[in-house]
Amino acid sequence: MKKLKVSPQKTILIFSCLLFGFFLLIPMVTILCKSFYGDDGVTSEYYSRLFSGGSIFTSLLNSVLISALSGLITTILAFIPAYAINYTNISRKLKKVIASLVMLPMLLPTITYGFAIIYSFGKQGLMTNLLGTQLIDIYGTAGLIIGFVIYTLPISFMLINNTMGYVDKKFMIVSRMMGDSKIKSFLTTVITPLISTLAVSFIQSFTLSFTDYGIPAALAGNVDLLATRLYNEMLGSLPDFNTGSAVSIIMLLPSVLSIILISSLNKYNIRYNKISVIELTKNKVRDIGMGIASGVIIACVLSVFAVIFIVPFVEQWPYKMNFSLEHITEILSDSSLMSVYKNSLLTAVVTAVIGTLVVYSLALVSARRNEHRHLGKIPDIVSLVTNTIPGMVLGVAYLLTFKGTFMHNTFAVIIICNIIHYFSSPYLMMKSSLEKLNASWETTAKLMGDSWIKTVIRIITPNAVSTLLEVFSYFFVNAMVTVSAVIFLAGTKTMIITAKIKELQHFANFNEIFVLSILILITNLLVKGLVRLFAAIRSKKGKTV
Amino acid sequence: MKFKKLLSMVTCACMMITACAGLTGCSGEDEQVIIYSNADDEAVECMKNTLDSNGYEGKYVFQSFGTSELGGKMLAEGRDIEADIITMSSYYIESAQSESDMFTNLTFEVNTTDSYPSYYAPFLANQGAILVNTDVLIEQGLATPTSVKDLANPEYAGYISVVDIQGSSTAWLMIQSLVNEYGEEGTKEILTDIYKNAGAHIEQSGSGPIKKVRAGEVAIGFGLRHQAIADKNDGLPVDFVDPTEGNFTLTESLAVVDKGDETKELAMEMVQCITEKGRADLMNYYPVPLYEGETADSNAISANSKTFAEPLTVELLEKHRNLSESCK
Repeated sequence: MKKLKVSPQKTILIFSCLLFGFFLLIPMVTILCKSFYGDDGVTSEYYSRLFSGGSIFTSLLNSVLISALSGLITTILAFIPAYAINYTNISRKLKKVIASLVMLPMLLPTITYGFAIIYSFGKQGLMTNLLGTQLIDIYGTAGLIIGFVIYTLPISFMLINNTMGYVDKKFMIVSRMMGDSKIKSFLTTVITPLISTLAVSFIQSFTLSFTDYGIPAALAGNVDLLATRLYNEMLGSLPDFNTGSAVSIIMLLPSVLSIILISSLNKYNIRYNKISVIELTKNKVRDIGMGIASGVIIACVLSVFAVIFIVPFVEQWPYKMNFSLEHITEILSDSSLMSVYKNSLLTAVVTAVIGTLVVYSLALVSARRNEHRHLGKIPDIVSLVTNTIPGMVLGVAYLLTFKGTFMHNTFAVIIICNIIHYFSSPYLMMKSSLEKLNASWETTAKLMGDSWIKTVIRIITPNAVSTLLEVFSYFFVNAMVTVSAVIFLAGTKTMIITAKIKELQHFANFNEIFVLSILILITNLLVKGLVRLFAAIRSKKGKTV
Repeated sequence: MKFKKLLSMVTCACMMITACAGLTGCSGEDEQVIIYSNADDEAVECMKNTLDSNGYEGKYVFQSFGTSELGGKMLAEGRDIEADIITMSSYYIESAQSESDMFTNLTFEVNTTDSYPSYYAPFLANQGAILVNTDVLIEQGLATPTSVKDLANPEYAGYISVVDIQGSSTAWLMIQSLVNEYGEEGTKEILTDIYKNAGAHIEQSGSGPIKKVRAGEVAIGFGLRHQAIADKNDGLPVDFVDPTEGNFTLTESLAVVDKGDETKELAMEMVQCITEKGRADLMNYYPVPLYEGETADSNAISANSKTFAEPLTVELLEKHRNLSESCK
């Protein structure tokens, strides 16, 4: 036994290299080949077809500008509730409510958003009717930005809130005692430790918006975006996988930029030896101001979604406005629905369990001090790459790669696709929270004679439980709401609920779409509730290191 | 010790992955014929009823998709597709056949009035028409259009919604009517103005215009005739206009996937059953006659139905798509 020198970290890396090799590299190389290889051999025809006329540059520019603006707005907006939770003396209960409500949009499929915005702010929408006037023209840039901000706000908030929790607030007092001005103190003790997270949040929001199709499909109007172009090439009236592949390669460009940006920001990461619990200074103006600001943000987001809970209970929106349970009963009595729902649950649970394991083990290797840490760049790069691959591209790539193999039409392929597709955010979250833990634990434990695995199980894991649970529910919730990739992978016996929604979208049955959205929402709320309950019981049982 | 623990961890992960892979491996219902379809609810319901009342109940599974998803699946998967039968827009079936030779020849006689390739049988035809929201027309003081050309009228700027042929073939019904009536040059002019009028309401989905008309977002749209009829019958302020250029049609067809020795005999029987016994039912919703001996109800079908002079092929679609792109 002694001769076996395979360290656990190395095994994790080998295992993940196999995973990413098979399920990320090969499918993406398949797409890359498709973009260069046609019926007549190697050709650059598909790229030249794309670039002739120059309209691809307009699409690219539109996509970049709108996504960047959305990313900026989202990050600023997400900062406010996160600040209210971590740096004010608002009551704990209220803080919990703020945190839960900000995350709410994440529990619904994006496919619902477009409809919700049209039926809220459109000419016959709920808000338009209530206010008596149409606030904004929702088709085009404004609508897209609203959609993207709502879509990315929860993720941005999650990242910022998570890091803020690990920032040692004691330094605020130190800074004030040193005589720093309020602004300088805010910049050095709040913003500086957050810089890399704020950048990550911006990049995350940017790429999510950049690669989303659901919202542009409903609201793009005549704004030409790269995502709509990709969809039209891949799945328009004349599908052309070759040119489509070329578009998706172009869509990967931002990942190159992200990699440069993030690695240059990494040096700003600050590590605290311990996080001291301090009494925040009393400041009523700050507390009330931040509370109201958070409230306004939440109210705006929720007002868009109100329509989901109203339309299905109305006989025929907006013409027959009487209460009716007809749509609800119709949907819930659909016999095939229960098996589809069960499939969704199964997929989500397995995705969450395996996804959490994969993310945790990789984050351990890349974030904690060990002899393989330089190899931790591999998951870093993977996370940046997966982040920028549109679900649709991933789905088609899987389809082209695994057709005819034993993986075809299985739950396994859907689950792995989910894990790869949603790898980035939980990985970054996990990594940043592990980085914030004291770096010397492993060294100390090693000196004490503990193996790495023992240290992980005994010391690191108990301190990472809250993030682990968040990662678990992140995977679960996203597996429940994802549409873009799995639509290509779900077979007759592996049909899941969002694929059903997509089917209904095809028939324009928004009543049913809203009912199923509510069903997904309830499921996600239940799971989040259970996870939180578990965390609460655990933290009562005993304080960790 | 260290290694053992690790080994157990890895084994555990492997077992979980194989377990979920295995979940699908064992299914006792392999005999069932799988039908992939992009057809509307009503059409699927008709086909199911026909199959059930002819002794096929429980012997098949229907799986619906949007046109684009099913199209993508067909082109990507070819013969490896899970389905035994596919119901889809005819030109799509033709394109998939030329791409990957994935359908087998039908083994029974198909008595259609027009001739079709030997590997599919049409089961319904969709007809295009102008859709209007009568409330919005009155509210905005707009005249009801009578032709597709009217939609280019500046008076309708901001009030119309059309489909982009890039996104959905429903747009093809409109472009066919224009090319047929005004030629390619004429179409170019009219279409440019229509797109200008539609502005933000150029939809990627074929059901985009009916959604916008129904929601009152626009007054006028171009879409499928039977959808407007259904909304009208539901008591919504939706109506349709048969344009003076004529109503054009696209057919949807049934085809059996060629799986070599594993091709299911039952699949062929079912396709025969639907085309021979299901048409009467289908014609209640899609009243365009396709087979010998069928007659259309004069109220349900446009008096001005027309067929495009050239056969509807993918090449023609591509030509019309390029024409449409030059108008944007």
